[in-house]
Amino acid sequence: MEHTKFKDQIQFYLYNELSMKDKNMFENHISTCKECEQELIEYKKLFEEFNKDNKQTIDPQFLNEVRSELRGYLRAQRNKSTNSNYFLNSLSRVLFRPIGFALGGIILLVLGGFISYLIFNPLTGKIDNNLQYPEKLKIQNINFIDSDPSDGEVEFTFETVQSDRMKGNVNDTELQKILTYAVLNEQNPGTRLNSINVINANQTQKPDDEIKSTLITVAKFDNNPGVRIEALKSLNKLPADEEIKNTLIYVLLNDTSAGIRIEAINGLVDASKTGISLNQKDLTSLREKIQRDDNNYVRFQVKNIMKEY
Amino acid sequence: MQLSDNELIIKTQNGEVLAFEELIYRYDKMVLRIALKYIGDSDDAKDIYQEVFIRVYKNIGSFQFKSEFSTWLFRIATNVCISFKRKHRKSNQFSLDDENNSEYVSLLPGSNESLPDSITENKEFENKVGEALSNLSPNQRMSFLLKHYEGYKIREIAEMMSCKEGTIKKYLFEAVRKLRVQLAGAD
Repeated sequence: MEHTKFKDQIQFYLYNELSMKDKNMFENHISTCKECEQELIEYKKLFEEFNKDNKQTIDPQFLNEVRSELRGYLRAQRNKSTNSNYFLNSLSRVLFRPIGFALGGIILLVLGGFISYLIFNPLTGKIDNNLQYPEKLKIQNINFIDSDPSDGEVEFTFETVQSDRMKGNVNDTELQKILTYAVLNEQNPGTRLNSINVINANQTQKPDDEIKSTLITVAKFDNNPGVRIEALKSLNKLPADEEIKNTLIYVLLNDTSAGIRIEAINGLVDASKTGISLNQKDLTSLREKIQRDDNNYVRFQVKNIMKEY
Repeated sequence: MQLSDNELIIKTQNGEVLAFEELIYRYDKMVLRIALKYIGDSDDAKDIYQEVFIRVYKNIGSFQFKSEFSTWLFRIATNVCISFKRKHRKSNQFSLDDENNSEYVSLLPGSNESLPDSITENKEFENKVGEALSNLSPNQRMSFLLKHYEGYKIREIAEMMSCKEGTIKKYLFEAVRKLRVQLAGAD
């Protein structure tokens, strides 16, 4: 009985997860029991093998790909729910409850009083005399921490944004870095579109992986169809590979815009001409697509690709 | 100076997306590695990765600092992995030996042919472990991965998987017993 108990403890002894008392008893037993000692040696070997198996690293390209997709999602979320929407929603939730009417009145009164104070008080706008704000800096996102002016002091946080200018060759890596950032993070779809077009103009050399993965993220997740289609067109100009093929299939299966799906299927047709082949999983997805897609051209082209397999 | 996890969480709760990115980049490799090991398919692992961090993003506003962020994160990752496996139990088989998947988890850049014998042997062992892992129950497999590959204490794993330490010990005991039998049989 005791022997079985110690045998069962071997694994946890190696984990160093036995209490001091159990550990001492276990070590005493091992010193006298050949069978358990042998078992301990075998477990040690097995665990060493597991440890070797653990020395793996994630392929950086794969990591980059999943991170880009997540960044795309986060940006889409950020666009959907800006702070101002959140504030307005919260305010309306409070104000439109029956009990909120009274509270709303009080809030409006306080706000009115505060605005009057800001307008008529000569100290208005005096921030901190020690701080100098160059003209280049824009002040935005002011959030009040203390908006009660009755004691003569208010407190708020704000962000300063410095505008800058850059002129350079489209192949310049710093310039490309900023444009890639803009494609992923800029709120204005026009700016995102322009950034893609400028990146796209860089035809003289093969774009780096960061740009390609940015285009992939945008083609899949940007909430503006114009930006998505531009990103897809740019991808279609790059040498086709597995990653691009997977993106085209993803867009073909998921995008709600027929125009974008047409761009995707055209890209897929071109890619298959350059020797990019479809695996079983792709074919299954495309087979389902033929049944579901409401666009004749997309269905026709999918059928054409499938004929080759 | 590097900000602590809690400082980054506070910034994230105040709407700073870059702070959130910095926070997740501290742990996302571990999450991805577990997902790859657990599921054995790179596309599914990618879905799990997205699902985990989307859940983290949606819920970090209500994070109350009662536990370590990493514990909370791995609790989410554990739940996502286990429920994913349950949903896809019929169709998925562990397939790290599938060349489409094993390429994402690599010891060194380059192909197997160029690897020294010892590394090729490791690769074979890795494939055998992958196969053997697929025969464990979802909970046994997750306990094993968190213990042997991520080095967590049984107490921490219990917290992550929301169960008692005794239960985790049983999972680990059974997992190692089964693996041992299967790996011996595979030789």
